[in-house]
Amino acid sequence: MSTQLMTANHAAGLAATLAGRANRRGRGFGSGVYPITPQTECIEFLCKQDIEKGHVVRVESEHSAMAVCIGFSMAGLRAYTASSSNGLAYMTENVFAAGFYRLPIVMMAVNRTMGPPWNIWVDHGDTLMLRDAGWIQLYCEDNQDLMDLSLMCFRVAEDPRILVPAMLGQDAFVLSHTIMQIEVPDQAQVDRFLPPLDLPHRLTDQPRTVGGLDFPHEIEQHREHHAAAMNRVFEVYAEAQDAFEAVFGRRPADPVVPYRLDDAELALVSMGTTASTARAAVDEARRKGIRAGSLRVNLFRPFPERQLAAQLAGIERVAILDRDLSPGMGGILWGESRALAPRDALVQNYMLGLGGGDVRPEHLVAVIDDLAGLERAGAPIIQEVA
Amino acid sequence: MEIRIHGRGGQGGVTCAKILAAAYARMGKSVQAFGDYAAERSGAPIRAYTRVSDAPITNRNKVYHPDHLLVLDPALLGEASLAGLAEGGSLLINSPDPPERFAERFPGTRPASLDCTAIARRHGIGTRSVVIVNTTIAGAFARTQGIPLEVLEGAYEDLGLAGDLPAALEAYAAVRIAEPRPRAAVAGAVASPPPAPRTVAPAASTAPPPVLALTAHTEGPETGLKTGDWRSQLPRFVRNLAPCNAWCPAGIDVVGFVQALAREGPEAAAGILAEATPLASVCGRVCPGFCMLGCNRRDYDGAVNVRGLERWVADHAPIARAAEQPTAQPRRLAVVGSGPAGLSAAYALARQGHRTELFEGESVLGGVLRTGIPGYRLPDAALERDLQGILDLGVEAHTGAFLGQADLERLSQDFDAVILATGLQQARDLDIPGSELAGVEQGIAFLHRSNLEPGARLTGHVVVLGGGNTAMDCARSALRFGADRVTVAYRRGRSEMPAIREEIEEAMEEGVTFRFLQAPVAFVGEDRVTGLELAEVELGPPDDSGRRRPLVTERRSRIACDHVLLALGQSPDLALLPEDWKLQDGRAFRSGEALNVFASGDLSTGAGTVTHAIGDGRRVARQALIALGEALEPLTRPDRADAVPRERIRFDYFARRSPAQLRQAAPAERIGGFDEVSQGLPDASEAERCLSCGSCTYCDTCLIYCPEGIIHREPDGTYAIDAEYCKGCGICLSVCPRCGLEMVT
Repeated sequence: MSTQLMTANHAAGLAATLAGRANRRGRGFGSGVYPITPQTECIEFLCKQDIEKGHVVRVESEHSAMAVCIGFSMAGLRAYTASSSNGLAYMTENVFAAGFYRLPIVMMAVNRTMGPPWNIWVDHGDTLMLRDAGWIQLYCEDNQDLMDLSLMCFRVAEDPRILVPAMLGQDAFVLSHTIMQIEVPDQAQVDRFLPPLDLPHRLTDQPRTVGGLDFPHEIEQHREHHAAAMNRVFEVYAEAQDAFEAVFGRRPADPVVPYRLDDAELALVSMGTTASTARAAVDEARRKGIRAGSLRVNLFRPFPERQLAAQLAGIERVAILDRDLSPGMGGILWGESRALAPRDALVQNYMLGLGGGDVRPEHLVAVIDDLAGLERAGAPIIQEVA
Repeated sequence: MEIRIHGRGGQGGVTCAKILAAAYARMGKSVQAFGDYAAERSGAPIRAYTRVSDAPITNRNKVYHPDHLLVLDPALLGEASLAGLAEGGSLLINSPDPPERFAERFPGTRPASLDCTAIARRHGIGTRSVVIVNTTIAGAFARTQGIPLEVLEGAYEDLGLAGDLPAALEAYAAVRIAEPRPRAAVAGAVASPPPAPRTVAPAASTAPPPVLALTAHTEGPETGLKTGDWRSQLPRFVRNLAPCNAWCPAGIDVVGFVQALAREGPEAAAGILAEATPLASVCGRVCPGFCMLGCNRRDYDGAVNVRGLERWVADHAPIARAAEQPTAQPRRLAVVGSGPAGLSAAYALARQGHRTELFEGESVLGGVLRTGIPGYRLPDAALERDLQGILDLGVEAHTGAFLGQADLERLSQDFDAVILATGLQQARDLDIPGSELAGVEQGIAFLHRSNLEPGARLTGHVVVLGGGNTAMDCARSALRFGADRVTVAYRRGRSEMPAIREEIEEAMEEGVTFRFLQAPVAFVGEDRVTGLELAEVELGPPDDSGRRRPLVTERRSRIACDHVLLALGQSPDLALLPEDWKLQDGRAFRSGEALNVFASGDLSTGAGTVTHAIGDGRRVARQALIALGEALEPLTRPDRADAVPRERIRFDYFARRSPAQLRQAAPAERIGGFDEVSQGLPDASEAERCLSCGSCTYCDTCLIYCPEGIIHREPDGTYAIDAEYCKGCGICLSVCPRCGLEMVT
């Protein structure tokens, strides 16, 4: 283990490299890559690494990048790629394919505003678009998460009880291009944490048809199995956290991460780096005598319904902070979690930092003030921060 | 602690932020560094940030209240860049201006400043066109914050920037900090509160709801965004020194005349030549071609045949009437000797309207050009043409005026100044047995005889001793005077021969045989020479001239011969000088007192070529006028090291094409007489091979490649750069095929 100064993009690329090398005792590592701002530095880093039994294939599009990963994964290799925004939109057909083939591919996605008009800064709308593709989804809060949660993604996705792909989101530029110190594990540690992948449905020299025609009753079964696997993630994730702690000496983030919620009357619910800012705002509000708390949603798929409900028990007012907008509805996190607050609680949706606006503690203090003064919840609110 | 950096895309602001973070990380701090992305086009204002803390950093915001500001381009200084800087906050500016000036301009700040651009440029940091200052200013910042040197060194190593460390250390040592000036009391700025939340739901209204414009197309290129404000450096068309100009001892604008010939024709080219030399016709035939040795094309596909082009100009343009620069105060000057140095000096003086008289001991003008260079290389007509150009300026020539010491004393009294250009009259003798025998003759005496006394004959086997141009002239003249066989014996090897390469080749073509590494030890014969005893020579370590020293061995041989010509070098004949005069640094002195008598050309320098003599004649003419009180600058030669190097030429733009060859008469034909061997170039197309190193040719490459489209053609065909929109990206400079631009800060 060593402390190194690096960007979140490099941390992700390094995590993939360490995981790839760890499968040298198995069938190796495979990746199809195509660049897009702000993900490019991650795959550039990956392309420069020397990985035993590793194949990093530079392709002509995101669609092919995922197709290459599907091929590698079906052949039993540990597979990885990265993309962002409209690249994910172009990749989408194969993102669903990877999900429904139940291939434990890991993808890092730098969250970036969907265009047009063009904008390269953070917005969670791109990966939330892929919410229903059958993938595990996590959202990072800091650079260390790109290392730790990447390794967690491989571990959980490849668990024989799970076998679904995993997607790890991070905020464009706020993390992707920012250097900070992170703890970098040794290869031997990663080898211990990530046993060689043994994919039960891997292709062999026995000819098989994959992804052929499914009649309704077959689809019903496939979906049922997929949903059941997703529901097992909570248990497997917790086991993986224990294993991680045993090997690396620190614990990766829980599916939801509370802050000063125990005696709180009011809570801010958020994902990604907004959670860091929310904690600063909570501290500020508490200095003014407002009993505020914060809850970060780390795991978004499967959705940690039970954990969220438990954390929000007793809260009277909830602000759900979205960095996304589903036009015609409101914030997506709000849409999913508003029913999990106590029955009589006031739940208001605020969308902040759309298109990469710099959400500062004072913006969230204003949200707290606004929330505290509401008589009843209103329609979703876009709060300008830029 | 929060640091904000203001720079321009391309200056490396983000890397600067990372260097600072790496330094503080080495000091055990928790750090964070990042930039503003998407605005990072070359030249656009960018910001970068470094955050430092004892506790783990969870602040993900940009820096709004910096403790320290770094400004990489002083043009960015202003309200926006200083926004939020704490009272007494530090301000480090990349500027040659002293920090006190900024203390005055920005009271309440603690400014430091340093010309990081100059340091980075000196250390060669950046691209070929644009200087990058990030690694330099980071060194200065480290000093202002007391970051230890070893920490700084470690940070540069961590980031793979150790190569830039010397510049950083220079900045570390040189940065200066000013004391802050107190700020005038003003009402405290009120931070604007965040806007009130508002809902997404549209307000009920009968008017159709608005759609925010999603396209921003405009008619024409006009934009309110004057991108020239983004610039830290501006390109400028310049004339960089071409190697040919740096190498020419005569000080000719070589690239200028060749380009003029290619674009405007021989008359324009003749005008440029006439600025420096009255002897284009001569030089176009006998110059060793120093410019061609320096030519950037030499190792690509062969040097431009400049000598051939100079001759083409002289042969095809009327004698150029050089622009005269008449003086308000004409003086009387005497020039003694009408060789190339004397002619050049007289020309330079006469062009400025001084009354100039030229004294020549022979019956005709020209000195060594007339008596030393055979007609097959330099025909009389060619020399006469150049002489006419000099006499046309009003130079009064006295031929047959062989001067003695008393004459010189008189000239010194009668004239305001005297320039001595008598060349090297004293031939070196050979002190070996038999040198007094008949048939052993000095080469220059033979050439003098052959040039001025037609009908001279030479028969049998002629041996020429020496390896310079005089030796070649002797050998080839001897053939033309009827010698059956000519042998050149030289004590060094062929590559050590000082003669012009073409002369050696032409001599060989004409049948002259060479015996290298042979030194004469005795002449043989009763009263007339009948043979020569030669010793074999081995080459030892280099001597003062840089050539390997010849070591005479005991191995001897003997050859029969009928005539021996000595071409072993010449030295000045100082018999002309009165007894109590002494030449020192090119000027005559009498008992320590400087006289109005100056020495020029070979007499002074011994350089030994026509071209050097021309340059020195002009230089000494200027020196004499300065000594007489004229307000003139001394003439100096440019430094070859300043010339555009080969690496700065983009050869990809230039197709390979061999140099044009001179039209030569067949060897068998030409040794029958003294007709000029070469008829010169077939045409002037060789001029188009000139790369025009360092000088714009209006080739439009910059105009085509400028990403902003802001280089325009003026009505007169030259270029203009629209500074309002130039972002200073330097692409014009990096694509220029010939290094005709520079970036200025």
